[in-house]
Amino acid sequence: MTTSSSTISEKSERFQNSYLLQAWLVIGLALFFGIALTGIQIALSSRIETNKKKETMEKVPEIILGANHAQNQAATDKSLKIEQRSITVDKNNRKKVYTVFETRYPDGKPAGWVAKASGQGYADKIELLFGVDPGATKLTGLFILEQKETPGLGNKITDQHWRDQFILKPTGRMLKVVKGGAKGPYEIDAITGATISSKSVTTIINKTLADIQKQLASLAANPKEDNQ
Amino acid sequence: MTSQSEKKSDPQPESIKPAINVAPSPHIVDGSFTTRRMMYDVLIALTPVICVSVYLFEMYAVRQILICLASCLVAEALFIRIRGKSITLMDGSAAVTGVILALSLPGTAPWYAGVIASVVAIGIGKIIFGGLGMNIFNPAMVGRAFVMISFAGVMGAAAYEHAGDAVNIITQATPLNAFKQSGIVSPLTDMFWGTTNGSLGETSAIACIIGGLYLCIRRTASWEIPFGVITMMVLIAGIKDIAGPFSGRLVLHHLLGGAALFGAFFIATDPVTSPLTRKGKLIFGAGVGALIMLLRLFSGYPEGVMFAVLLMNALTPLINRWTIPIPLGEE
Amino acid sequence: MADQPTAYERFIQGILPENPVYRQVLGLCPTLAVTNSMNAALTMAGAVAFVLLCANIVTSLIRNLLRPHLRIVIFTLTIATFVTIADRFLAAYMYQMSKTLGPYIPLIIVNCLIICRCEVCASKQSVWTAASDAAGQSIGYALALSSIAGIREILGTGMLFGFRLLPEIWPDWVIMVLPPGAFITLGLLLGAANWIQIVQSKKTDNN
Repeated sequence: MTTSSSTISEKSERFQNSYLLQAWLVIGLALFFGIALTGIQIALSSRIETNKKKETMEKVPEIILGANHAQNQAATDKSLKIEQRSITVDKNNRKKVYTVFETRYPDGKPAGWVAKASGQGYADKIELLFGVDPGATKLTGLFILEQKETPGLGNKITDQHWRDQFILKPTGRMLKVVKGGAKGPYEIDAITGATISSKSVTTIINKTLADIQKQLASLAANPKEDNQ
Repeated sequence: MTSQSEKKSDPQPESIKPAINVAPSPHIVDGSFTTRRMMYDVLIALTPVICVSVYLFEMYAVRQILICLASCLVAEALFIRIRGKSITLMDGSAAVTGVILALSLPGTAPWYAGVIASVVAIGIGKIIFGGLGMNIFNPAMVGRAFVMISFAGVMGAAAYEHAGDAVNIITQATPLNAFKQSGIVSPLTDMFWGTTNGSLGETSAIACIIGGLYLCIRRTASWEIPFGVITMMVLIAGIKDIAGPFSGRLVLHHLLGGAALFGAFFIATDPVTSPLTRKGKLIFGAGVGALIMLLRLFSGYPEGVMFAVLLMNALTPLINRWTIPIPLGEE
Repeated sequence: MADQPTAYERFIQGILPENPVYRQVLGLCPTLAVTNSMNAALTMAGAVAFVLLCANIVTSLIRNLLRPHLRIVIFTLTIATFVTIADRFLAAYMYQMSKTLGPYIPLIIVNCLIICRCEVCASKQSVWTAASDAAGQSIGYALALSSIAGIREILGTGMLFGFRLLPEIWPDWVIMVLPPGAFITLGLLLGAANWIQIVQSKKTDNN
């Protein structure tokens, strides 16, 4: 009798001291929370994805047509058709993939291209979208997606006024940043006190254009006609 | 509780005259070597610099110096009163801060920049730490950093060019900015005499050297610090010159251009925020020189004296700890 | 349990007498990082309030099951879950704000304020007390964040909540919306809070 009872109490003691048992609450909670989080992720993930997409997509018509036009078109339900593509460029044996958006008018006529590009700014990476016409001969607009430039100086690259300079700039030669008033067709006026940020944006556009301009032009000349 | 803490904060009650005092730096052994004398020495040494800046920038220099001087004195009086201490205006430290601050700003800096810089210099740079002798950072540079970052649009490169235009003698960027942006090396004679663009007090190398030598001879400033700064700058600029396209002028360009000499003689030598021992002072000077060159060559800024001095100020307590002199006879 | 503060006391204490930032000096990472605009600061305060309330309630519900050596694991688990929920909801419904706040929402997990309240209050007291404690602390935290953010946004941009408050000629003190501005503002406000407390305690001493 005594021996059996002692073994039972020993057993129960060992049972109680088992780490796994002590952690039952942790394991249970972890399971419960895990399931709850999965549910939330399933419920919200599509919405988060659309948010991310929308951010880029919403800007595309504006960059091609200008803000006023884009709003009018959206209001009359004649918004552009946007198709995402990626262009791969071989550069010094390293493949570089650019994301571009092909835009067409509702009647199927090509409206232009919007390319996503990024590069080093003064403080951190700058990510931007810029648009060109179907033949990639001139710029149609610029939008800064992400930047961490100095507030009050470098972050003026997001100002509409400054960005509008790029509209209708020809793409034949490299754009150049100048101080105190741009005169020539290939000149961009630097922001006062933020020459480096201005140069960074221009360099990003120059580099990306140099990489993809030919491909865009040839794509526009011989479009893959799959639905017409 | 409160009464106790009050007693603690006042280490020397009037009734007891202790034999040994614990006083904040600057530590003075010689009786005639008072804080006041040192500060007036600095003001005398600044005279050639002030003269050149007034000659070059005319009313802009006068206006900026008056604004900073007045605001520093008012701020000092105000903050000292808030802290309930006796007025210490007569020791001249606030005046020195004001003049050095003004000379380190561009002439066309708006009036509010001078006022804000002065209030920050005295308030956040000095009084918050417990007044003269307790501050970690050079007050004038704290004030300057605050406005240079805040109002970069009106204080940066553009302000200097504007200043040059305004007085109609130098319509160009500062030598260092011209070098950074377009690789132009300004004529060395201009930089030596001071007929270039820049902050009010930094343009003339000869004025800084005259004032600096006076300070060193009077032993108000320790010669080790400017020596360390200049040696290190020559060394790094020399390496850069030999490594890059050799011109033989890069060393002098960096030494004479910008605030290097003004900083080495007048800013880095602040006895409160620099180390105590000779070895420490040499390390401090070399550190400032190295950081100046590092910032000038590799950062987005054309000039690096302000940040170099502030960074080394932060290291000063550490340098003091490293360089405790070993008493005679010990290992 | 008799010496534990009541629900009402917990609530009142959290707002000013035991303000998370100014008296306990907790949760300083977001206090310094996201207070350059009022909107960001209030969103952060809201997220912290949500996490704190939920974590306090859950901890209080299971307080009798907690083992001393496993309690921190459970606190962290609970907090991490609610932080993830807050993060996902922000990304889904306030996308721009969630981008602005960046990593600082996930970093609520390591906000000592929350784990401190779980330990001090929720693991010992009833659900009602824990909830009112969370409410009080959250209000205190929101007050602290908005006081710093208000000063920084007004001085740094001349605006508040993105609306212009000061005249156009106001020169923006850019440094105030940069990291140094956060340290200067927090330091000065902490000093002011200490000074006020000293003055008050002197008054009560005299009475």
